This record gives sequence, structure tokens and C-alpha cells, in this order.
Amino acid sequence: MTTAAGYRSFGERLARLNWGLITVLCAIACIGVVMHFSVTDGSWAGMPLQHASRFGIILVVTLALAILDVRIWLAIAYPLYTLSLLLLVAVEVAGATRMGAQRWLDLGPISIQPSEIMKIAIVLALARYYQGLLDSRRIKPDGLIALIIPLMMIGAPTALIMHQPDLGTALLVAGSGVGVMFLAGLKWRYIVPAAIAAVGGAVYAYFNVLHDYQRERVNVFLGLTNDPLGSGYHVLQSKIAIGAAGLFGHGYLKGPQSQLDFLPEKHTDFIFTMIVEEFGLIGAFVVLGLFAIALALTMTTALRSRTLFGRLAASGVAVTLGLYVIINTSMVIGLIPVVGIPLPLLSFGGTAMLTVMMGMAIVLSIHLHRETSISSRGVLW
Amino acid sequence: MNYKPTAKRDLMGIFSRRALILGGTGVGALTAIGGRLVYLQTQDFVDKEYTRAAESNRYDARPIVPRRGVIYDRFGVELAITSPDYRVSIRPEDAKDGVEETIRKVAAYVGLSEAAIQRRLRDVRSKRKFDDVLIKNGLTWDEFAAVNVRLPDLPGVIVEVGQQRFYPYTAAFAHPIGYVQKANQREIDRVEQEDRLAAGLGPKALPGERFESARARYLRHPDVRVGKAGLEASLENELRGEPGVALVEVNAMGRAVGEDLREAKAPKQGAPIITTIDADLQRYAMERMSGESAACVVMDIWDGDLIILGSSPGFDPNQFVNGISGPAFKALNEDPYKPLFHKCVTGAYHPGSTFKLVTGAAVVEAGVDPTWRVNCPGFFPFGGRNFHCWKKGGHGSVDLHDAIKHSCDVYFYQASLRAGPQRIADVARMMGLGQKYDIGVPAVLAGIIPDPPWWRKIGKGEWTPGLTLNSAIGQGDIVSTPLELAVMTSRFANGGLGVVPRLVREGGEPRAVVEPKKLAISEMARKLVLSGMNGVSNEPGGTAYAKSRMALVRDPVSGRVIDAEGAPPGAAEVQIAGKTGTAQVRVITAAERLRGVKRNEDLDWELRDHALFVCYGPVDAPRYACAIVVEHGGGGSAVAAPIARDVMRAVLLADPSARKALTIAALEKQDRQPA
Repeated sequence: MTTAAGYRSFGERLARLNWGLITVLCAIACIGVVMHFSVTDGSWAGMPLQHASRFGIILVVTLALAILDVRIWLAIAYPLYTLSLLLLVAVEVAGATRMGAQRWLDLGPISIQPSEIMKIAIVLALARYYQGLLDSRRIKPDGLIALIIPLMMIGAPTALIMHQPDLGTALLVAGSGVGVMFLAGLKWRYIVPAAIAAVGGAVYAYFNVLHDYQRERVNVFLGLTNDPLGSGYHVLQSKIAIGAAGLFGHGYLKGPQSQLDFLPEKHTDFIFTMIVEEFGLIGAFVVLGLFAIALALTMTTALRSRTLFGRLAASGVAVTLGLYVIINTSMVIGLIPVVGIPLPLLSFGGTAMLTVMMGMAIVLSIHLHRETSISSRGVLW
Repeated sequence: MNYKPTAKRDLMGIFSRRALILGGTGVGALTAIGGRLVYLQTQDFVDKEYTRAAESNRYDARPIVPRRGVIYDRFGVELAITSPDYRVSIRPEDAKDGVEETIRKVAAYVGLSEAAIQRRLRDVRSKRKFDDVLIKNGLTWDEFAAVNVRLPDLPGVIVEVGQQRFYPYTAAFAHPIGYVQKANQREIDRVEQEDRLAAGLGPKALPGERFESARARYLRHPDVRVGKAGLEASLENELRGEPGVALVEVNAMGRAVGEDLREAKAPKQGAPIITTIDADLQRYAMERMSGESAACVVMDIWDGDLIILGSSPGFDPNQFVNGISGPAFKALNEDPYKPLFHKCVTGAYHPGSTFKLVTGAAVVEAGVDPTWRVNCPGFFPFGGRNFHCWKKGGHGSVDLHDAIKHSCDVYFYQASLRAGPQRIADVARMMGLGQKYDIGVPAVLAGIIPDPPWWRKIGKGEWTPGLTLNSAIGQGDIVSTPLELAVMTSRFANGGLGVVPRLVREGGEPRAVVEPKKLAISEMARKLVLSGMNGVSNEPGGTAYAKSRMALVRDPVSGRVIDAEGAPPGAAEVQIAGKTGTAQVRVITAAERLRGVKRNEDLDWELRDHALFVCYGPVDAPRYACAIVVEHGGGGSAVAAPIARDVMRAVLLADPSARKALTIAALEKQDRQPA
């Protein structure tokens, strides 16, 4: 019943945003620009400028979205999820194949990747679901139905994305969804058997679902095949670059592996390698530290929110960002098999940046409206 | 039922706990990542594996081709050298006017057929755009200069001076020296296999595997040639030298970046080789044999130096260096005069009457009185048939001296029965026949000396005396190479020393000098044979008397051999002593006799007899032995003896063994003091 805790003016709302979090995000994006300067052999034209301008525009949009009332996010949660799901189906039917995978939907001048929208949509939709469950009189929160609905909400998009095929995004969507379920209090008696089932499912997937190139990557990781020029090449070169970097690295613009093009995908998925090669262990810890701070600030926002929706949505975004960072860095240092997941804000390319920043817009909005309470009556759908 | 409040409180509380667990998991994951980073670098700090891998990524070890060693004759004449090779290449990515357009422009200056242009375009397509592709090498200076001055208008065109093997005397030394060619795919594959196995890899490359055999890469280098024949082939390891290595900083595509080219290891030039050949004499011999399919071996009877090792006709080894064309090779290969065949060491001929020297020595060794005489009526009835002498009416009564002088077959038929097949074969082997001499060229053949054990070994059963008769006059299954015949003659002339021929005097690996051992041949036998040879050449009636007049005398003052013309009166004549031989290629049949084919000259060329002549000289102070075989030349006295006379005359006048030969030490001294 209560209205917004009452920041009336636009300026006041802007001033009360979580500027600490925004600063950290800007710092990470700046490191990205600096690294792309090195990728292009010391030229502003091209990637560094594009990265900077893209981040600038997205930041403005993010700040604009951040001051929206949190209840608007609640309101659009289900429609956004439904739209994303429909787009995924559309991709399945009519998507363009790029780089060997059907991920993009060409809509005239713009092409969109519905799976990216889904990363945020799944978090919002699940948060919305558990918020609704709180006030529901028809569904028992501990009951089986309360468990099956979110599983289906996660399962449908995951299956569609997996089929594109895009293992990385599928993992992220499923991971973020399961993370929200976990935070929403999924009973341990479900978690333990589910974990066992997941391992079984992974083994089944390895033999029956994964595409050849994906299985090959797993094989290389497990040491079943030794293929230094094929799938293993990326990781081998990456490990060489990191191993030889030392505490302080080879110096800016001087990473031999990356500057001489031995390191593939250095501007996208393997940008972390380049950071380590040029700035050493120190550089790696600075970047990881910045992400850790961003994650901590996001979780703090979640914990300080008074609504379950706010808590779950913010922490869900944290899970997404955390998965991005952990999967990407683990991959480039050879801890896990190669899955095509970029390092947000650092890797070149707008999609991951947009996804993460949209998530951050939600987090900032939740932070701004942390005192706002939500009742089921305030929800129109 | 209203469980809302409790449920809400529960969920909020659970959230806090779950957030803590999740946060903890995140911290754990980040710690693991940080730990892994530290581990990777600590590990590298210890074993430097990644540092090394990064270094080898950055630097491409490119081979620097060493200069191939020069091959000299005994006095320092260069028989095989490495000369500059002017060449023009194209770097496709820099060819702004288009690759084909540019190649066509260059072709106009250097002359390139349409087919060759198409081949170059295919080469360009098969390589990376920053790889240089050869347009043409072996340019003349004028062609090179023509392209050079137009370079500003030919973007992407590169002119270079490389190195190329060159044989200045073309055909004269083609057989002993041989030639080089590009390594073929089989050789490259073979060294790659060896390197793979040495590196502990399987014999076959796995897809995407990153292994490169340095030796295979070296063989693929455009400047690299490997010996394929003659000394070039057998002394490959010594002539090649040691390749150098340039470390070039490259990117992942193999493109050299920057000017950062530092030489990590300088190439080591190949070893010079000093052969035993006298270039002037060899060239004379080749010229003298021109028009014939013939072999000429001249060797020093004391140290075995092969002064001449000529096989006629020769061929131009230079045409092999850059790859001989199909039709040109076919012409050489199918020529009935067999220019590619090294007749001196690979040609096996019936020694014919030259083998009578062995039979004669064997009969003396058997204890037969040297004054033993045989009556020759022109044939010798044995085993129910007549064995003919080459002279229809026969030679009458002959002893060993006369038998050699007149080459009487009947004497040697009878002598062989007294000496026995085994003794004849033993003497033949002792005198150097049926032996393989490793003079440093490939494909040296050992002749065949038939004897009863050999006869059994090849599955022909028991030896029959008729075979002995055939062998005695060098016919039947017996074959020898011209080199073996020269060795045999040397051993008779040098007092029965087991001299062994050699082609390389010095250079490369140290070569052991073997002091020849005294052979178990009696002086009497040897002297009787030499006296017979003297009869052949220097007594009226000898089979080569007319063809052995040397017109040489010994200068009474200096003791040197000089031309008889204009020499002071009273100077002693200088002579050679030899033995003629005619090797039957095909017996003239009764049917042919009826058709009127009576003489050798009436037969087709390839059915005519081989002409042979062996000799040594000077008779008064023996120094050189010579063996000549003229394929299908007819009679030894008519064809082979005159060649031997002319060659030996030149050899005796030049007397190469008496002059100071080039040494490696002298060469090195020369290098230290540049002129």
C-alpha cells in the first residue's frame, strides 16, 4: 500500500544511486578500453574507441533505467520472460547462423540474441514467481508444484539455447535460475538428489547431447585427447602466456603472446590472459578484486532490500555476473573446459556488456528503492 | 489455512543464510582461480616450461644454408663450385599491380613460358600471401640488371643473390664428381620420420600437431641441394657443411615482424675435397674418347691415385641442379651410348684377352716351366669339340712370352688346364679382379671371377673343364670393370704390391693411407707377364706394336719425358707395355656366315665386340697404368690401343704424380692470406 519511499525529484534520485557500484563498473570498463588499445597495437581507432563509446551509451541507459520504480521491474518480469521465450522459439525457427551457431535473430538493421535477454529475464521472472508465491493462497510454497513451476521456467529456455547450440549461455541461464531457486530456499532434500541427477545428466549430455566440438573441448580438458593446435590450442597458448608472465607481467603493449597473435580471441573470451600477460599476477588480482567488489556491493544491495523480489532479483544478477567471471577466468587458465563465455565489460562485444549492465540497472533500482515494500495487490499481473 | 506470515519470515531468513553460502562459494571459486594463477607462475618459475614455450613461439629458427665445399682436382682446379645465383621472386601481398600482372611484366624481362607463368601462379595460390614465391632463378647478369633497374615500377618484386652449385667443365667430370639436385619428397619424408622418432612421436603426423623437423625444413629451403651422384652423393655429409640458424621474431602466422633478425648460429662452410684427378688429362681423355661409348681409367701404380676416371659420353651435370626437364632426361636415359652410366666402375665387360695376363701368371705359379711351348694349329680339340684360336692358321710353336705377344688362344687353353680353374681365379682375385673398391663414388661394381665354388653357389652344378678354357681367355661368365683392369695392370707393374685405387686425396673426414701389401705372386711369373706385355707393344709382330709408338724420349739431362721430335740425339725411347683384348658380345652364327656376315663391322653396332686395352708406362720406370674399354668398338688393337697410346702419351708428358699436389693445409693458408 505504501507508495515509493519518496524521492520525488529526478536529481535527488540520481544522487542517491549506488555510486560505489557504478564506479567499480566504470573502472572495469576502463581497463577494457586500455586492453583493447593494446589489442589494436596502440591505436585508438577501432576497438578501444568503440568499446568506450558503447559503454558510455549503455551506462546512460543503465542510469536511466536505474531510477525507475522497482515495481515496474516486477510488473514487466513475466512479459519480458514470455517475450524472450518466444524470441528463442523464433530463433529456432528462423535464426541466422553465425559462427556455426544459430543464435541471432535478424530484425532488419538490428540483430538480437534472445538468449542474452533471457539471462536477465529468467532472474526477474523467478524473483517475481517467489514474490508471488509469498502471497499465494493456492500454491503451497513447500509443495511439489511450487518446485516444478520454476524448474520448467528454467528448463524451457535452457533446452532451446542448448539446441542452438550455445553451451555457455545455456549454462549461465540454468545456473542463474538454479541460483535464484537456491536463494529462495530450495530444500536440501531436493538439492542433494538433484545434484546427483545433475552429474548423471552431465554424463548423459556428454554422450548424447553435446556437439562434437563441445565434446572435443571436454576431452581436451580431461586430457583424453592431446591436440595442441585444435581445441587445446587456445588454452595452451593462454597457459603459456600466463605462466610466463610473472608477478608484474611483460608490461603494457609488450605481451609477446598476445602482441604476436599467438593468443587467439584475445580481445574477446581470452582478454583476461592478455591482462595477465601484460600486467602479471598483480593485474589479474586487481581485475578479480574489482569484480569481487562489484559482486559484494550487489549482494549487499540484495540483503538490504526489504522485499523478497528485490533480494532475489539483485542476488540473481550477482549470480549471473559471478558465473560470467568465474567461468571465463577458470576457462582461460585451464581449470574448466573451454565454453564460449566472455568476461563482461572487458571483452569486446556489446551483448554481454548490455546484459550485465541491464542486470546492474535492476540492482541499482533495487538499491534506490530498498525501502519500498510490495504487496500482492500492487501487482497487476 | 493461513501460513503466510511464517512462510514470509522463513523465506527472508533462509535467504540470508543462502546468500551467505552462495557468497562463500563465490569467494571460494575466486580463491581457486587466484591460486591457480599463482600456481602456474610458480611452476614456471621453477621449470621455465612456459617461458621457453613462449620463446619458441616468438622466434622462428630459420636455417641459413652453408656454402657447399669446393671439389678440386689434384692441382687445385675447381671442378665443382658454389656460384652466385641471380633470382627474382614475388611477395604476393606487396604486388599492388596484381600478382599475375606483375609476374607477366617480370616474365617479359627474363623470358618465361606461358606454362611456367601458370606454374608460378599456382605456387602463389598454394602459399601464404607474405611468403616469397620464386619467379625464376639462374638469371643472366643482363636479365638480373634489367629487372633490378625497374624495381621501382614493380612493387612486390624481389631480386636476390642466392647460391647455386656449378660445374665449370660440364661433361668432363660428370661421372666422378656427380651432381646435386633438390631433395625429393621421399628423402624429405625420411629425415622427417627419423626426427619424429627421435622426438618420441609416432611415424605419422596427427592432425593439428605442432612438430617441425628442422632437417626436413632445411631440405625444403630453396637454396639447398643434395648430392645425387658421384662424389657429390657419397661425400654429402662432408661437402654440405653445417647449416646456420637465424632466429626471426614472428607472429602466429609465421610472418616475420620487425627487423629483429639476429643470427643465432653462423653456418659452417662445407669441407673442400681434393681429388686425385688431373683435370687437364681427364679433359684430354674425354675429348679423345668423344664419339665413342668408352671408359678410360689411368691410375698411379704406386699410390693408387686415379689420374683419369673418364666415362664417355659425358653429360652436363649443371642441367640437373635446377631440375632437368622430362624430355632432356629421357634423351640421356635412352641414349644407346649410356651417358648417365659410369662405365669405369659400373660397366662390367668380359676382360677378353687382357685376362691372359692372369692365366699366364697362374700357369707359372702352378710350377710349369716357363720355357714350356705349345703348338698352335689354330684350334684346340677338347671335350669333343674344337676351341678356336683367333688366328685361323694358328701361331705355330709359342711359349708364354710369344703367347701374350700374339695373344694366342690355344696356348692359354692348354695353360689353363695345367693351372686349374681355382688357381686362375685365385690369381685373378689377388691381382685385384672381382673386387669392390670403395673409391668414394656410389654404385661401384665388383666383377665376377668364376670358379668351381661360385659355379656351385649359383646353382649350375659341377664345374666342367670347358669352362676353364673359356675363362682362360676372358670369356664366358667372367666380367671385370675398367677400374679393376687398371688395378690388375698396376699390380703387375708395381712389383706385385696390392695397391688400392683412390679418388679422394684429402678433405673432409681424415682418410687413412693404406701402405700396399706385397702380394703372393712370384717375381718370375710377374716378370714373364711384363715381358709379354712389352712384346705386345714394342716388338714387331706384337698385337699392338703399330699402335704403341709413343714418339717420346727421356731427356738425358733432366730425366723427364719429352717429345721425341726435336730431342737431343741418343735420348732413350720411352715406351708403354700393354695387352689388347676383344670381348665378344655375340658369336657370329653359322647362318650369318652363310649370309656373308664375316666380320665384326658387318654386325649392328650394339652386337659388335668390345675393344679393350690395358697398359703401363714408362716401361723403364713404371708409374702409371691405364685401362681402356671401347664398347662395341671392334678389336682391341685397332680401337682401344690408339686411345690408350694417346692418353698415356699425354699422361707421361705431364707426369702428374711427379708434381706437387694441392693440400688442405695449403688451401687453409691461402684462406688466411687473402690476395
